[in-house]
Amino acid sequence: MLCLLSACGPTQVQVQGNFPSPLLDPLPITLGVWYSQEFRDHAFFDEAKGPGDSEWVVRTGQAQVQMWDALLNGMFESIVYLDTAPGNDIAPAGIDGILVPAIDELQYAIPTHTNIKVYEIWMRYRFNLLDPQGQPIAEWVMSSYGKTPTAFLQSDEQAVNLAAVMALRDAGAHFATGFQRVPVVEPWLLQHGVLTRAAPVAAP
Amino acid sequence: MMRRLVTWGLCTAVLLLLSACVTSKVDEMVFNEPTEGIGDASVVILGRRHASDYDTEPEFVRCVGDYIQSRDGSIRVIEELEFLNSLYPWFEPRTAPLKPDNLRKMLTHDLVAKRLAELKTHYIIWIDGTTVRSGSGGTMSCAVGPGGGGCFGFSTWTNDSDYEATIWDFTELAEVGRVNTTATGQSYMPAVIVPIPIIAPVQGTACDGIAAQLLEYLSSEY
Repeated sequence: MLCLLSACGPTQVQVQGNFPSPLLDPLPITLGVWYSQEFRDHAFFDEAKGPGDSEWVVRTGQAQVQMWDALLNGMFESIVYLDTAPGNDIAPAGIDGILVPAIDELQYAIPTHTNIKVYEIWMRYRFNLLDPQGQPIAEWVMSSYGKTPTAFLQSDEQAVNLAAVMALRDAGAHFATGFQRVPVVEPWLLQHGVLTRAAPVAAP
Repeated sequence: MMRRLVTWGLCTAVLLLLSACVTSKVDEMVFNEPTEGIGDASVVILGRRHASDYDTEPEFVRCVGDYIQSRDGSIRVIEELEFLNSLYPWFEPRTAPLKPDNLRKMLTHDLVAKRLAELKTHYIIWIDGTTVRSGSGGTMSCAVGPGGGGCFGFSTWTNDSDYEATIWDFTELAEVGRVNTTATGQSYMPAVIVPIPIIAPVQGTACDGIAAQLLEYLSSEY
């Protein structure tokens, strides 16, 4: 009876994974990073659409911070984490710019939705690059996608977690290989002496 | 005691007779086979994950690696996740080279070239494919009551595996072989109170088929 009753609550996934440092030459930039509370606590809620569906809560905030910490520390010569939100005109000493990542949207699909045997997570990020005083330099969006196949004795929760980890790894790969080619970021990189031609080139 | 043994023996015999069958086919085309084996170099086996409607199963990639390593201990097979992590982000689905020519471009990055040299990677084997359930039939109904529960009926389903392994030689930066395997098998599940699944090991057969050919290519002992 307890087992039957437990099926009434939403299916919860706290995304957990290990994220490697990137194998890149760090850019000669000291970057300030601000993770908003909304970003740190990011969670995706999906209400059941029918009697056969279940509600889902996918919490990605902790894993987001973990992945972006590992990536940015490997991508840039130095990272300074900001204690307060940028834009208050108090410039932290020695930084070249401030990166503010945010998640615009997250979507997921499980085999019962799509009739194909993969679990999928899709995310859209919005990045703001600010000068040390908090004034905007560039804003751009980036998508990421992760999927994992069904596996014997694997629950929906485990599979969605794996798909989310794949989506996070993809976000890191997309950012690492594309950052120097974002048109609105190029002038800032040129200004700080980072050669655009030296950008890591993603395999086609 | 004797009667119980006879009953168990009969049951086992019936189950063996009922065991599901798998049909498989392996095609191979290889060049520059290393006649002396690969020495102290290593091999990495990676799953292709570019298709939108399927993903090469990580357990299939593991199965092929385990098969090769268990039969020739001198071949070092680098574990997929270990390789992906040590070369992140260069072998993710978004960034992984699709052709050997792309490796040349990748090796212009000193850190990548250095890491690959540290790992002594001689061959990369890409595995692309999946196992799908292609058809099912039969009916089975189950019921639970205060006195217990049970199922009655018969169901059957077919699984199809289709995998292709592409071998890239790191030193030549060229493709040196392809091995393709297909396997089909029908599984059954009769139920009289208790369902008895008789599973056709389709994916396992495909794994053995492709791994045996790869072992023959890589090992000097086979």
